[in-house]
Amino acid sequence: MADNYEYILETEHVSKKFGSLEVLKDINLKVKKGEVICIIGPSGAGKSTYLRSLNQLEKITSGKIFIKGDLFLHREKNKTVERIGKEHQQKLLLNMGMCFQRFNLFPHKTVIENVMISPIHVKKINKKTARDEAIALLESVGLAEKADQYPNRLSGGQQQRVAIARALAMKPEIMLFDEPTSALDPELVGEVLKVMQNLAKEGMTMLCVTHEMGFAREVADRVLFMADGIIAEEGTPQQIFNNPQNPRTQNFLKSILNA
Amino acid sequence: MNTLKKITDIKNWKKSTKINAAIFVLVLIAVVILAAVKPSEEMMIGRASPEMQKLIEKDAQSTRKYVTVTYNNMIIINFCSFSSSGANEMTERFVGFAGKVYSADKGKAKVVGQMVNYTYRMLGCGENVMHGAKLTILLTTLTIIIGVVLGIFLALGKISKKKLINKFCGGYIFFFRGTPLLIQLFVIYFSIPGIFGFAWRDLFSAGDTEAVYKGAFIAALIAFSLNSGAYCAEIVRAAIQSIDRGQYEAAKALGMNYPQTMSLIIIPQSIRRMIPPVCNEFIMVLKDASLVFAISLVDITTVSKNIMTSEGSYLVFVPALIIYLIITMFFTFIFNKIENRFSVYE
Repeated sequence: MADNYEYILETEHVSKKFGSLEVLKDINLKVKKGEVICIIGPSGAGKSTYLRSLNQLEKITSGKIFIKGDLFLHREKNKTVERIGKEHQQKLLLNMGMCFQRFNLFPHKTVIENVMISPIHVKKINKKTARDEAIALLESVGLAEKADQYPNRLSGGQQQRVAIARALAMKPEIMLFDEPTSALDPELVGEVLKVMQNLAKEGMTMLCVTHEMGFAREVADRVLFMADGIIAEEGTPQQIFNNPQNPRTQNFLKSILNA
Repeated sequence: MNTLKKITDIKNWKKSTKINAAIFVLVLIAVVILAAVKPSEEMMIGRASPEMQKLIEKDAQSTRKYVTVTYNNMIIINFCSFSSSGANEMTERFVGFAGKVYSADKGKAKVVGQMVNYTYRMLGCGENVMHGAKLTILLTTLTIIIGVVLGIFLALGKISKKKLINKFCGGYIFFFRGTPLLIQLFVIYFSIPGIFGFAWRDLFSAGDTEAVYKGAFIAALIAFSLNSGAYCAEIVRAAIQSIDRGQYEAAKALGMNYPQTMSLIIIPQSIRRMIPPVCNEFIMVLKDASLVFAISLVDITTVSKNIMTSEGSYLVFVPALIIYLIITMFFTFIFNKIENRFSVYE
């Protein structure tokens, strides 16, 4: 794997169609290491689809995705053009960790087992090391004392923090957040955002679909405004929030901030 | 170690557990006492009618006549049957509690006495020692275990995207659910050996006197398992497909491949959802197991039918029903326990 890459994540001409409905239209994005990008936009704009297509939860119709300068995926007309070795692709895939809106913790495993399961079975790390690492991660999200509980006993905010710890257990270099706070009670949003903020401070590359404008303004290096399957506007938080150029962005921000 | 501590910690038992334990101990004591009460030969003969006593005396002189006297001390009721081979045949039956014996032909005593007696015979007296119930339970349990394992693979095949596997599993399920179990049993027991030229008893050594029965048991087990596999496959498929898609996505995002996702995440979660319908399937198989009388295996149904033919009593089927009910009750209880164990995380 090349270490002298310019962009940690790069997408070229990514398009996605559901039948005749075009969800993503030719999206190009270059992400530098350590950058925090927030994606905002109205629902149905393709934000989540774009994020999910990055780690192959959605199959893109056409486009190229590079991770750390290596080609990860190249599809045209719904067919893979350049076949990449499965192992290599898996290795690249593991550079990305993902957190979901609905947490998707494994309910039959305890909190610590949730965090340990992937390192043990995918990375084949021995149990003791995995456990030590898991405890350290749970401490960093402030949930070490809940290690032996089942996820359903925890609050939504705690579950999402466990989900973040679980994703971090694979030591990813890019974290994808798909509306991590949308399913939470308002008073629980803060604890999750705080964990994400800490993560950003530590230099993690993050792509975050969010409706938390405060978070985007404070933490993001770059804000993308997506609408109708394209990136309608992008820029620093100051540019987007204080001085939006595109009328769609202006409308969107007006409706959100006045709500 | 922990479970042992929990069990021995009598002070903290639940009230219902305490009551059950007390009942169990009392029954055990009663059984032990009753087993110790063995009526003497004089006592039993003393109950017989004067005519019978005369006959017994006469028979005692003869070398060609036999008198059988049986009793049943476990269930309190005495059963005496007097018979002699040859021309002067005579039988008498008595029922009642120890020390108080009535002639079996009088009133209610007949019904209750004979029924308890038949239950007793089916469960443990005479040549059918527990045979019927044992065979039924063994056949049903093995069938369900094999059926569920087979069902998991069939279900995975049926939801697989590979066309060949998908079609094969779908066809299998279609075939075994669409034909009667009795005919499947006949095909496996009679037709298959006919086609391939072997006999089920050949699976065991020639010296084995029970080879015929063991062979029939293997054939029945195969037929029942194949059939149950088809039903379990649908149960497993429903359970697997009821798991949230988010679980697959989370597993994939964590880098797990399909076998890992299935074995670590999806199947463990779906097992809990399978238990109630599998319990149902178990009870169905338990009842279907009575079909083995068609290939001359001795299960509860066959035993009761044998007793009916040999003694001409229609009452014998009532205890048969009760035995089935008791087995069902026992296994429903066990399945509930398993379900509770798997539900800890909910």
